[in-house]
Amino acid sequence: MSKQGGSFDKDLIRELAALLEETGLTEIEVEHDGRRIRVARGVNLTTTLTTDLPQAEPRESARAKGDGPKPAKRAAGQGEEFIVHPGTVTSPMVGTAYRAPEPGAPPFIEIGSKVTAGQTLLIIEAMKTMNQIPSPRAGTVIAILVEDGQPVEYGEPLAVIEQR
Amino acid sequence: MFDKILIANRGEIALRVERACKELGVATVAVHSTADADAMHVRLADESVCIGAPPAKDSYLNIPAIVAACEITGADAVHPGYGFLAENARFAEILEEHEITFIGPTAEHVQLMGDKIQAKIAAQQIGIPVVPGSGPVDDFDEAKRAAREIGYPVLVKAAAGGGGRGMKLALSEDELEPALLTARNEAKAAFGDSTVYLEKYLTRPRHIEVQVLGDGRGNAIHLGERDCSLQRRHQKLWEEAPSPALNENERVRIGEIVAKAMQALSYRGVGTVEFLYEAGAFHFIEMNTRLQVEHTVTEMITGIDLVIEQIRIAAGAPLSLKQEDIPFNGHAIECRINAENPQTFRPSPGTITHFHTPGGLGVRVDSGAYAGYTIPPYYDSLIGKLIVHARTRNECLMRLKRALGEFVVDGIETTIPLFTSLIAEPDIVNGNYDIHWLEKHLAKHGTRGKR
Repeated sequence: MSKQGGSFDKDLIRELAALLEETGLTEIEVEHDGRRIRVARGVNLTTTLTTDLPQAEPRESARAKGDGPKPAKRAAGQGEEFIVHPGTVTSPMVGTAYRAPEPGAPPFIEIGSKVTAGQTLLIIEAMKTMNQIPSPRAGTVIAILVEDGQPVEYGEPLAVIEQR
Repeated sequence: MFDKILIANRGEIALRVERACKELGVATVAVHSTADADAMHVRLADESVCIGAPPAKDSYLNIPAIVAACEITGADAVHPGYGFLAENARFAEILEEHEITFIGPTAEHVQLMGDKIQAKIAAQQIGIPVVPGSGPVDDFDEAKRAAREIGYPVLVKAAAGGGGRGMKLALSEDELEPALLTARNEAKAAFGDSTVYLEKYLTRPRHIEVQVLGDGRGNAIHLGERDCSLQRRHQKLWEEAPSPALNENERVRIGEIVAKAMQALSYRGVGTVEFLYEAGAFHFIEMNTRLQVEHTVTEMITGIDLVIEQIRIAAGAPLSLKQEDIPFNGHAIECRINAENPQTFRPSPGTITHFHTPGGLGVRVDSGAYAGYTIPPYYDSLIGKLIVHARTRNECLMRLKRALGEFVVDGIETTIPLFTSLIAEPDIVNGNYDIHWLEKHLAKHGTRGKR
């Protein structure tokens, strides 16, 4: 959610959030004095990035509950609601994802990067081995779905590469 | 104690281990294949990690993926359950190299007992009775002497053998010479080595196994026996404790022998020493260096949670129980509820449309199934275990009958009708069965009332 220029009315946002809760809606957008406020829940970041991208919601994998209290698990099919974009690159293994070849180095890819087939998108560390994850195709990176140092499961979406 | 245990298994046993962890206040990590994302062991764990594709070799047998799952979740121990990696010495070693505790015996003991020939030699050395046999026999005279000593019937077996080849039965001395010649020829042809030896052939043995618990420091106890004679194709279907075939003296005698042997071995964790029992004598088959499916019947009659004891010992605690602390109360029977046709035993994967488990006094159901659950076709067919406990074997049978009547599993076929028919059989009621009984019975009658 973009946040350029000035401060928003926090109370209004709270009010809208409460309304969202009350009505069971997933999204409310209001425009007022040239300012637009959109309050949404359970909506993925990629819909805000592009409109032509089907919902590639980062999977709320259970392992993300690593620290702190464990939220109650959702019932069956959790995270399965995202529709796989044909350009989604999924993790071939369990491990820790790194976006750069070494700490402090520039990341392999950014959103908007042009990549060639076979180009390294990120690294997944498993059993102290660094595994380079190559791009399956040439294209443009339209979404990166993992943070640097984030644990990933088998099959977890990592990035979306749109074919040129 | 551990902070977080990763359970490298699925189904009812993963759930069973989770329950023990919860009672110990230890966090749990479930691992699963993509086929098991909706499984109950995943839903009830504190955390879960998808480790691979449905085939077991890509997920539940995938050692790097399981170690990586430990790394990303910070699990400091792994419980292997049974099957999959539970008796994989290499897995135990790799975990150790990564400073993750394998909840089980030492890799050496896993390896020793995994090699069936070595295991038999080791068993003999620590005082466990084995099937009487001879050394290599070179000629008929030598074979005759050995056979008289062992007692007929005898099996002539190829020393280099396996898979039933080079194996001939001699019921009496008349049959010995032809059996010897045929076995030697077959052995020569199959293995390039004509060396044969003799072994006592058991005609109507029961499968009786002794549960042990050791702390790896030389302390070890036994928790009595289980009778698992009701099998089909070496697959146990019904297990009970105590065995209807043993009296108190025999129970104490074999228990003490096994406990002493485990002390000599400095065995760590839970284990099972399996025997064929016939005419008052026990003959070692193998030792399982892990928790077994049927551990539940021992828990019911002793009141001891074997998984909790196993985890405590793995965490370095000494054995908290003495032999005299182990009570044996009443009788328990376990029935394995498999997703199989009760007559043909053909697997019946599919979606369970309705699921109702029995309850009441002395009834326990260990299962990961639920209404709406789809049994994936990739793994074994065990969907649950019905365990009943009562003061006497007769009460136990009546309770089992009652519980089976309450059990509803719709949408798939299960072995429940088989058990319903078995409790009506006089031989079962009288405890008069051996390891061949069930197959003979099925060949003759099928499953009664379910044609």
